[in-house]
Amino acid sequence: MLGDSAKAQEVFQTTLREAALRAAQGELPREPFWLFRDARWRCLETVKEDLQPEALKLDEHDVAPHAASQIEKLEPAQLAVWISGAPDPQRTALALFYLDEFDYQEILDLAELKLNELSRFLAQGRQQLQAWLDAKQPQQGKV
Amino acid sequence: MKMSRLLRRQRTLLNCAPISHDRLADRSMRAVVARADDSDEFRKQQNFDRAVAEIVHLIPIPPETAEWFSEKDLNVGSKWTWRKMARNPAVLAISIAVVVIAGVSVFQVLSRLNDFPGSATARKLLTVAASTRPVMLDPVSTEAGTLSDLFFMKHGLEHYDVPAEFGDFRTIGCRVFEDEESRRIAQIWLAEKRIQLFLFPAERNPKTGAVLWFPGWRYVHQEGWAGAVTERSGVCFMAALRGSEKDLALYISNTTGQ
Repeated sequence: MLGDSAKAQEVFQTTLREAALRAAQGELPREPFWLFRDARWRCLETVKEDLQPEALKLDEHDVAPHAASQIEKLEPAQLAVWISGAPDPQRTALALFYLDEFDYQEILDLAELKLNELSRFLAQGRQQLQAWLDAKQPQQGKV
Repeated sequence: MKMSRLLRRQRTLLNCAPISHDRLADRSMRAVVARADDSDEFRKQQNFDRAVAEIVHLIPIPPETAEWFSEKDLNVGSKWTWRKMARNPAVLAISIAVVVIAGVSVFQVLSRLNDFPGSATARKLLTVAASTRPVMLDPVSTEAGTLSDLFFMKHGLEHYDVPAEFGDFRTIGCRVFEDEESRRIAQIWLAEKRIQLFLFPAERNPKTGAVLWFPGWRYVHQEGWAGAVTERSGVCFMAALRGSEKDLALYISNTTGQ
């Protein structure tokens, strides 16, 4: 979500500290995923204070048959930075989806999205990531 | 099958198809995935998603954060043992309460097992026996079995007969009195081991008035006294002494044997 481990660490600790305080005061919400939702909003608040990337229309390519081998060559940090560079709520959708910890209904609930929005963000995300991969690894893109 | 043949709604769902099959949340998602499972396009999407998810899981987590999710800590929190549960104050309190309730219930059931029609009166009369002094009775020295005539002639009490088991014992005294329910009770004091005999009306069915009959001899206990009770012709007879059921059983079995 943040593409920066130091900021992620800070948000994580703040979220847990607030949760502990609320628990001590007996004010824990009963709704599921409130902790994740809280963490998400803190991430978005943190990002707001940073320099904002220019809004660009990213290229989109159809998912290639050799995409998996292209992705394998990526450094995890590169992928983290790419996802964190996506505009929200697409960023939240991609982050939650690729964590592979939630089903699509839980993601809809957490990211406060509609099904067609989530579907569009994921489909666009795949195509944009494929275009980026093709740009980074042009020789494989031509195979 | 081509994904383009899918309905728009199904296509929308398919874009959100989970990476792991164990996250197939609902029936509509399961159905659309099953339908598109053999399409090249969907296979490409799934391979793409799996590859991305694998890299996402390799994104380094700061060590301070990772500590929160260490396997050791999670295991400690989730460990569940019978011993741990038994030490939980709430479980302990409930267990003690259940044991006490069960104990009281068993005690009541056992007491009820020994109950018979007239047992409550018999217990009250054991208290009377404990507090009676010989001077309170009219002195009569005869065989207990002969007092039936006295009760009938003097007090109009029918069937107040001393059973054969105790009929031959010498008496010290006797009296007739009324209890708090105005029932007329005959009391006889024997010379033999200071045994006291009681004759009182048998319990009746409040609706029909029929005598509530019970067979043989039954025993009651109250404050160190024991009583052996039997019912004949609508009248209960009780032999009472300070001691145990064994002391009374000796008389009953001996005489029954004769």
